Amino acid sequence: MSNNEFDVIIIGGGITGAGTQRDCAMRGLKTLLIERSDIATGATGRNHGLLHSGARYAVNDPESAQECIRENMILRRIASHCVDETDGLFITLPEDDLAYQQTFVDACRKAGISAEVIDPELAKRLEPTVNPDITGAVRVPDGSVDPFRLCAANMLDAKLHGGQVRLHTTVTGFIREGDTIRGVHTRNLNTGQEQDFYAPVTVNAGGIWGHDIAQLAGVHVGMFPAKGALLVFAHRVNNMVINRCRKPSNADILVPGDTVCIIGTTSTRIPFEECDSVSVTPDEVNLLITEGAKMTPTLSSTRILRAYAGVRPLVSADDDPSGRNISRGIVCLDHEERDGLKGFITITGGKLMTYRLMAEIATDAVCRKLAVDKACETATTPLPGSEEGSYEAVARKIWEKPSMAQKAAAARMGSRASRIRTRNKLDEALVCECEEVSVAEVTNAIERLDASTLTDLRRRTRIGMGTCQGEFCACRAAGLLARAHGCIEKERDDLKEFLQERWKGNFPIGWGDTLREAEYTQWVYKHVLGV
Amino acid sequence: MKFNTVIIGGGLASLVAGITLEKAGKSTAIISTGQNALHFFSGSFESMEEAPQRVTDLFAEAGIQLHYNPGVRLMPMGTFRKSTLSLEDISIFPEPAIGHKALIVSFAGYHDFFCQFLAEGLQKHGVQCSIKLLNLPELEALEQSPSEMRSVQIARTMDRIWENVVREIRILLRDEDTVILPQVFGLKDTSVLSRIRQGVPAQVVFTGTLPPSVPGIRTQMLLKRRYELLGGIYLMGDEATGAHVHEGKIHSIVTHNLGNHFLEAENFILATGAYFSKGLRSNPFEICEPVFGLDVEQAAERSDWYNPEFMREQPYMKYGVATDATLHALKGGEPLRNLYAIGSILGETRPELGTGGGLAIRSALAVADQILKPTEE
Repeated sequence: MSNNEFDVIIIGGGITGAGTQRDCAMRGLKTLLIERSDIATGATGRNHGLLHSGARYAVNDPESAQECIRENMILRRIASHCVDETDGLFITLPEDDLAYQQTFVDACRKAGISAEVIDPELAKRLEPTVNPDITGAVRVPDGSVDPFRLCAANMLDAKLHGGQVRLHTTVTGFIREGDTIRGVHTRNLNTGQEQDFYAPVTVNAGGIWGHDIAQLAGVHVGMFPAKGALLVFAHRVNNMVINRCRKPSNADILVPGDTVCIIGTTSTRIPFEECDSVSVTPDEVNLLITEGAKMTPTLSSTRILRAYAGVRPLVSADDDPSGRNISRGIVCLDHEERDGLKGFITITGGKLMTYRLMAEIATDAVCRKLAVDKACETATTPLPGSEEGSYEAVARKIWEKPSMAQKAAAARMGSRASRIRTRNKLDEALVCECEEVSVAEVTNAIERLDASTLTDLRRRTRIGMGTCQGEFCACRAAGLLARAHGCIEKERDDLKEFLQERWKGNFPIGWGDTLREAEYTQWVYKHVLGV
Repeated sequence: MKFNTVIIGGGLASLVAGITLEKAGKSTAIISTGQNALHFFSGSFESMEEAPQRVTDLFAEAGIQLHYNPGVRLMPMGTFRKSTLSLEDISIFPEPAIGHKALIVSFAGYHDFFCQFLAEGLQKHGVQCSIKLLNLPELEALEQSPSEMRSVQIARTMDRIWENVVREIRILLRDEDTVILPQVFGLKDTSVLSRIRQGVPAQVVFTGTLPPSVPGIRTQMLLKRRYELLGGIYLMGDEATGAHVHEGKIHSIVTHNLGNHFLEAENFILATGAYFSKGLRSNPFEICEPVFGLDVEQAAERSDWYNPEFMREQPYMKYGVATDATLHALKGGEPLRNLYAIGSILGETRPELGTGGGLAIRSALAVADQILKPTEE
């Protein structure tokens, strides 16, 4: 097999693509993943990061609920360094019907989800920020999962199994012979280099952009772009996931993640043209704050860090204008069976936390086409970084007396933190003070995790995600990136893009301390540094 | 306690106003929360394309030498900006040509000074650059802690060991005509700047770092010292929390630390800065002034406060406290007769006074003059 020939090409570097590449690679296939931007740039990185117990779907979509609880238990084992086992509460507010609680609990139990009705007083003790007026509470095994880490770990494992990854590379067309897809034409968006790759099977894992990818291949997948807006708060106010115990609606999930917590979401149908540039409207911001404060009153006075939105890759089934009633189920299309187009598979729908199952289904389809008979092992094989225990244990194993920054690195990377080499004290210097990211961790992300821009670095290390939103770390990291790739001109533009990207999430919630921080950042970069 | 003038806010505008009033024999007090915009001062007073004798004298008496020539100055990211009235740290060049060969000197492990960006920017203007990172044993103590290699900490060490840096540069220097150094010198002792310039056999250009700004902190300290030597009372770590207003005049103000001891004065000056300094506060519905509840010029709709492009001019930065022709602050559309607003709390509501440092100095002098003007009362 020559350098540009593979068993399978996967298009899309979100969690579905990364998971599919890992599964294929673990079954011995020679894989190539192509992503036009960076890892986790689409819906993967633009949701709550909720490790669903499935309870949310138990009443209306039992099939999804069962998928969720199975995958929930699997991810706790195989992705422990990406998962925070917080548990969740489904609370009933005075304005909600308490009778729904019984329906909910029955449905959960039927789906195999442990759902324990607890005294509201106990719920308040477990989660002191919860609205003190709650009339009911149910405890479920919800949690949170870091999508960036999860995606990076899957891709890393694919690479460890011989997979190749081309980031910032776009598919410009398909190589088609008659009724068969033989490969793809690509262009590297950083260098402009064009290259063809060949494989007997290509998997379309492009999320909402899978619609366009399918069209490029000459088949139609009717997708349903449903925008969801979310807000990130600057503190982790809650330690358990908080949900409303009612029919799923807007802004009724609050998820703690790392140093922050996230409220969401909304659901609005948008045209395909807007998928690349979704923004959050003032109405959405107001709705998220108002509804969020009903569950956790302290949210109304908590600093908001940013607003962001993602586009759910739902497959359209009817004319439901909200998109809420469409199944969030997994859709795997074999275009040979469906459209007579050989060598092409689309995997879509699903959720962040059912990605592994989606990958398994897609890989099964790939293996059938290639007549490979090898069982899936992703449900039992830990991801790189998740092989051993808690982050404290991991940190202690690597460093005799771990510093705060080293503990933070272990929490982000699990056992892979041992790969951060500090040659001297200077490598331990902090680039990002909010999130405690060292020079060594940034260098590791540049050298070993394919980060080529500041935004790439943010997804791998959390730089710029903290309270200062990149005020200081951005130009420090830009200095390190500039040294690594040697092109200062490019890095200057990269820095501007990074600041613009941060501002995009700040101005919709630009008041109070967020506006203070923004004024400071704008002053420093324009007047002091002269960007 | 009764003063001629109480100034709320402790930054550039306050100190210029306070020094001017004290020199004229007026009793004044300044209430300062501690940090202010001088802590991230670039070294050049924005919008001051002039060097008025009155201003340079005021600063010189405090031990701060200012200079201005039409031309450009070098920015930390390697770009050039039009020159304005500057501290002696800042070199002003007639045009963006600073020499033929430059040696950029920084410290190993220091990430707040952007050598590569400087080199690339200068190379575009025909300057050949080389970068040298000094490995000084005296900085080892700072290197031990991951967040200590920052401008002020380095500057404290440099005040002691700047001569070693000069020696290192002499050794490193070949045929370069220019040496570029980070602004981490002369925190406590301004004479260090000229002594480095004399000691290095090439033109020395001090260039900005990430905040905190060493020249800015030095300026703050020197102005404050001058103010206090003149008899001014600088109340550090306190803030105004409310005021007693009677018939359109401020009678006294309440501060956090003084509790029931109200500060009474003939005149009050509000110089609490813009958003970052909390002179202006914002919530989802409006931008307000928290001490007196003054009128703030602003767009009614929050969506109009911003430009979605980060690098463009931001409307919210133009908003500020509304004032009459003599800078009396307005409340409910009416001027408060003995309350003035100066500095960046004005935003860009008074474009004739400039922006940034220029606005601070011009508005402070205008209000001090107004207070010192003999009145009929």
